[in-house]
Amino acid sequence: MGKKDTGVRMSLQTLRVLEVFLENPTEQLAGSDVHRRCGIASGTLYPILLRLESAGWFVSRWESIDPSSAGRPRRRLYRLTSTGLRRASEVFASFNRGVLA
Amino acid sequence: MSRRNERSTQPDPNGVAHWLILRAARRAPESLASRLEEEWLADLASRSSALSRLRFAVGCCWATLVIVSDYPRNRVPAASSAAAARGLITLADRKFGYFSLRSGTLFLVAGLHAALFYGLITTLSHTRSSATPPDLQNQVVKPVPPEKLPPPLLSGMTMLTVPKLVVEPPPMIHVDNDAPTQVPDTLPEPYTPPLPPQAQPHVVEQVAGGPGAGFPDTADFYPSQSIRAEEEGVSTVRVCVDPKGKLTSDPTTVRSSGSARLDEGALKLARAGSGHYRATTEDGQPVSSCYPLGIRFQLKK
Repeated sequence: MGKKDTGVRMSLQTLRVLEVFLENPTEQLAGSDVHRRCGIASGTLYPILLRLESAGWFVSRWESIDPSSAGRPRRRLYRLTSTGLRRASEVFASFNRGVLA
Repeated sequence: MSRRNERSTQPDPNGVAHWLILRAARRAPESLASRLEEEWLADLASRSSALSRLRFAVGCCWATLVIVSDYPRNRVPAASSAAAARGLITLADRKFGYFSLRSGTLFLVAGLHAALFYGLITTLSHTRSSATPPDLQNQVVKPVPPEKLPPPLLSGMTMLTVPKLVVEPPPMIHVDNDAPTQVPDTLPEPYTPPLPPQAQPHVVEQVAGGPGAGFPDTADFYPSQSIRAEEEGVSTVRVCVDPKGKLTSDPTTVRSSGSARLDEGALKLARAGSGHYRATTEDGQPVSSCYPLGIRFQLKK
């Protein structure tokens, strides 16, 4: 996306979301998947996903299904970008340094 | 997508959660509304229990508020191609539903407080006005012509009337010795209108006593409960008075008004009047005597 990531607030919930994606950086996860793994409520989760996407840490796309044949709406799948992977790794690394120091 | 949710629970289109999500998505920025609606409905389908779905939908409502407040800062790629084709998403795209919701809530809370305050004020005002007994006034009892007095117990009977109380406007209590219609049956029709001054006694051997100067205000003894219950009646008490106008024994009720409260009020009035009775006179000399005293409690309609 080429967006700046300076506006991302590193709240505890944001870190938990990033941690879920860092488990398998290539995995594409819907909001319901992230909720199931980290337990963050929808009222907090979706603004975080949108913020990270806006900052260029995530990209999203629609699930490749036909809603009429599947009988349900398409899910929105999120994935870490290379920028997001690098920045998230740096954030966790800084936390680890701070803890170990 | 290795952990894809395999459940295909279709949300009830008429469910509350479904409705909440549609409403929340519509309040989102225009370029995100359709995307969020589809995304949230898809994620709603992965929730199995009704409570979980409802919590999810409520959370989406809250997410809309946060997204709207974040929107100028965090512009997300639009879901709709039309919005994306515009390239630039301006501040005009932002919906101000958050502010309208907040303002509406503020006005609602303020309105509820105002209504509650008004209700309390009006209720308390009504209660106070109905619970406050009206002001009562008393008039000095006039002496009864001796020749018209009955000869019952010792001397004649004086009727103390507390007539015509008004509940809403301050009532007037009229006290005189006019003969009421509810006087005891033992009295041989002594209650005729006062004679004109020319008819006042000129040859008097015995003058009956009665309430004298400084006699307590009868208004203070009209029971408040009787006023509220609109109880009326004549209570006749027997008082024994010495030459100085003091009670020589405790007054007793000789004829009930039909209300225990009124009778008790009459007794209290009679006791409180000790020292302020006008003694019965014989040939102009005050003597000890006992006589009935009628006290009328009457409300003015």
